[in-house]
Amino acid sequence: MDGGVIPYQPAALERRSKNFAARATADPRSKCFTLGTPRGIYGGEPFQIFQRPRDLTIVYQFGHPVRTIHTNGTRHPEGKLDFWLGDSRARWEGDTLVVDVTHFNGETWLDRSGNFHSDALHVVERWSFLDPDTISYVATIEDPLVYLRPWTLRVLLYRHREPGFQLIENYCYTLDYDEFYPVRVSHD
Amino acid sequence: MTNRIVTALGFGLWALAGSGLTPVSAQAPFRERTVPLIASGEWPGARLPDGQPDVQGHWSNTIGNHNNLTDPQGGGPDQEQSRARGARADRAPSRVTDPPSGEVPFQPWARAKAQEFAAHLSNPIRPEYVEPLARCAPAGPTKSFMWHGYEIRQYPGYVVFLFDSGTRVIHLGDSPHLPGAIRLWNGDSRGRWEGNTLVVDVANNNSKARLARTGEFASERVRIQERYIFDPAGERFTYEAVYTDPTVFTRPFTVTIPNKRITAETPQDGWSNVTFRASHAGSEPIIEAWERVCVENNGPHGDIASAP
Repeated sequence: MDGGVIPYQPAALERRSKNFAARATADPRSKCFTLGTPRGIYGGEPFQIFQRPRDLTIVYQFGHPVRTIHTNGTRHPEGKLDFWLGDSRARWEGDTLVVDVTHFNGETWLDRSGNFHSDALHVVERWSFLDPDTISYVATIEDPLVYLRPWTLRVLLYRHREPGFQLIENYCYTLDYDEFYPVRVSHD
Repeated sequence: MTNRIVTALGFGLWALAGSGLTPVSAQAPFRERTVPLIASGEWPGARLPDGQPDVQGHWSNTIGNHNNLTDPQGGGPDQEQSRARGARADRAPSRVTDPPSGEVPFQPWARAKAQEFAAHLSNPIRPEYVEPLARCAPAGPTKSFMWHGYEIRQYPGYVVFLFDSGTRVIHLGDSPHLPGAIRLWNGDSRGRWEGNTLVVDVANNNSKARLARTGEFASERVRIQERYIFDPAGERFTYEAVYTDPTVFTRPFTVTIPNKRITAETPQDGWSNVTFRASHAGSEPIIEAWERVCVENNGPHGDIASAP
């Protein structure tokens, strides 16, 4: 990230410290909750982008949620909505996809160490190719309830080029009750 | 092929009502009691640049939810049996279209198990009695079509289904299934287009999802062969799934589910039509579905949401 330090407001920094202390159990990831935006992008498990002129669809392996990035000139819905992944409306600036993301809930974290945001989060992403297999992902993070000023994170995203690579399901949130299904066949 | 009168009708869109055939009204309400018959054949409609029939958009089944597999409008096992529902012939037919009895051809032990699940739906005194969809689990390849409205998106090499609970990516072409040891809630789907019909082979099923609240189930050995048969106008399709699993059933059986397209003119009912009008500068209606994430609801029963 630019500057190396997230510019928390004082009260938010206290909460971040509490989050850090409790991170082993309090991280929404440990409950298999949807990682949100931007964490779903760099959260570790792969995602697949399906693209049409009207939109891009991101299917995340972790939890298998779906995020639609609309590129058809539509605007954010009015009012206050609380999506896990936010509402994404985008435009192309040359070869760079610029995504405005709003309408968040306050349930997701930014990482495993307790960095967080509120439901006032606003993210502006810039996706651009460095080469055919590498994307520069830059996200400006704004949240007037948590940060002193907007700040920016940058990651590189690498295309999976392994032969036969396929996204599979990781419905991680089903693991708590996984053992009770399916029905055991009597003569197994 | 089942015992239905399909081939003689060609592309005509008809509904089977009682013993007679009646045309489907374009103005019919979304919930229907009859099941249109759509024949496999050529696809005269719009195509995508890669040659696939263009069937993208929002869809819903027309006969009801997963309360009851074989009596789709007859209420679930937790609903009062005394509730007046009229004559059986006045409700949608069984989703099981083969065998002709409309019943799942269970082996005796499996039928008893399904009945046990149904009997405990509202009183799940053991963890396995909790119907998995109530815990936000994916609904599985077939039951996903008995739940809320859903969306189809298509890409070169893929047909993607975005369901209310779960997502399915169908790989087109002749690539092999995943290794057998990998088993998934929605299985591993390999498909191809034959005219107006998307033919999909579903392997790698973990079979943790049930077929309905009435308790029907398969095992991990099940193979599901699906046919999605689209009418030439692209307004309806028939979902057919043949279940083959000799460890649970006495013979293969077929589940048939009728589906209809959601348009900007479809009344919003919060169940079949879960789309919203998008805000934009133009005047043409654009509908879109919003995020559907159920993971925070994964308590013992989905209707008891708790904050994380």
